[in-house]
Amino acid sequence: MQWRRALGLLPLALLLLAWHIAVELKVYPPVLLPPPAKVAMVFIDDWQTVLDNAAASIARVLTGITLAFLFAVPLGLMIGRYRLLDTMTDWSIQIFRSIPPISLIPLALLFLGIGDKPAIALIFLAGTWPLLINTIFGVRGIERTLIKVARAARASELLVMKDIILPASLPAIFTGLRLAVGGGWLTVVTAEMIAVKSGLGYMILNAQLTFRSDLIIAGIVVIGAIGLLADQLVRRVRASVCRWQEGLTASPE
Amino acid sequence: MNRFIECIGVGKIYPGKDQPVEALRGIDFACEAGEFVCLLGRSGCGKSTLLQMVAGLETPTAGQIVVAGKELQGPSPYAAIVFQDHGLFPWMTVQKNVEFNMKARGTPAAERRRIAAHFIAMTSLTGFEGRYPHELSGGMRQRVGIARALTTGPKALLMDEPFGALDAQTRGKLQDEVLQIWQAGRTTVLFVTHSIDEALLLADRILVFSPRPGRIAADIRVDLPRPRVPQSAGFTALARELRELVGADREID
Ligand SMILES: Nc1ncnc2c1ncn2[C@@H]1O[C@H](COP(=O)(O)OP(=O)(O)OP(=O)(O)O)[C@@H](O)[C@H]1O
Ligand SMILES: [Mg+2]
Repeated sequence: MQWRRALGLLPLALLLLAWHIAVELKVYPPVLLPPPAKVAMVFIDDWQTVLDNAAASIARVLTGITLAFLFAVPLGLMIGRYRLLDTMTDWSIQIFRSIPPISLIPLALLFLGIGDKPAIALIFLAGTWPLLINTIFGVRGIERTLIKVARAARASELLVMKDIILPASLPAIFTGLRLAVGGGWLTVVTAEMIAVKSGLGYMILNAQLTFRSDLIIAGIVVIGAIGLLADQLVRRVRASVCRWQEGLTASPE
Repeated sequence: MNRFIECIGVGKIYPGKDQPVEALRGIDFACEAGEFVCLLGRSGCGKSTLLQMVAGLETPTAGQIVVAGKELQGPSPYAAIVFQDHGLFPWMTVQKNVEFNMKARGTPAAERRRIAAHFIAMTSLTGFEGRYPHELSGGMRQRVGIARALTTGPKALLMDEPFGALDAQTRGKLQDEVLQIWQAGRTTVLFVTHSIDEALLLADRILVFSPRPGRIAADIRVDLPRPRVPQSAGFTALARELRELVGADREID
């Protein structure tokens, strides 16, 4: 089991090897393509810079996604439950979710200026649509009999929401959260290249201006690593919150 | 006569995907408070549909249903229903599932626990309170559904093939329990079954359904003394008559 997990590192090892060979063969001059060891040194010499910028990016994503969660999940539960709301919002959701958040950067800058606000607003948007759509999808998927059980018990609308609709939708909500966190992370890096003067996106763009390709590559490594960690974290939380779902779904061979 | 449940010219047409499905037509019957009525008939002749209409979960497309002197409007406060497909909440433990109907009525938590423990013991589920439905056998799930329906002491107990997935021994035990509850509380019971023997063991009256569209083909009074003895002459004679009416073997389907 353990060594099987290690298989996941194989493509990464191959990539590292290819990088090493490319450096040895001098495909690009060392200023452009530094050796892996030099990039590793960034984490010793410039760890403070990397840490500060990573923290700034993470804080923005956390804020934006939390806001998106608080907005989209209750709204999705209502839209999924009430046909009228669904009819009312369906087109709007389909339209707005097709707009890449990045394309709203110019507007965000005009309205919100340079700083945290436009970045967080864009992450909020990036996270809202997957959360909203998956929550609605989760509510729709509830077995009809279960709603009948609740109606037969003459359960209040609040109890139905709390004890039935919400728990039944949790697996789908977590799927939405994974997509939202992924989308938010993509968005923050891009937004930081334009709208803010801190964060990993700003760091790597700035590094380009000072010809620090080692810092650029180190930044990219950190972006990828945090993306992986965030995804693993959401999966863990999902597994523990949706423990009842174990054994209900087929697991891949 | 004290009519507790009365169906007057009840019909049900489901919209259906391609064309409407006429599930029931011209259902006329009345049953007294405290009567034990079995609904017997082949698959698809509308037994579940009728039960759900009496529970107020489906509305008739023709005729009316009167319970306790009032035409049904929405879920009936008198009825508790055991669903054919269990209707257990997969995210709730056995304990929480059994308590749900009481929770919906606002029964205080301590009393819920006390009553749930009683019915969990009656259905031989003690020790499984903390399990989730997917960790139970089909028969155990059915028993959880039965326990849940009994907790609120309903005036009308609507059971949709509640013992279908049980072994003969458990089945016999639960048949006795249902008879005891029925006799102790003078509960009115509507009980759907595929088994002629089960109907004869339990019922004061057997409604035999015929298919396409579902109608009541015969309304048979069972005047055999209780407890019923399957080997007795009266029992076997009625069994033969019923077998002819439904045109099938002992276990019809
Ligand atoms: N929600 C629904 N939408 C459309 N058609 C339905 C629906 N529920 C039931 N039907 C149809 O109504 C008819 C009666 O179904 P019902 O479930 O009441 O039969 P049943 O007597 O309980 O059968 P079984 O013994 O197999 O449980 C069937 O033809 C079924 O296909
Ligand atoms: Mg049925």
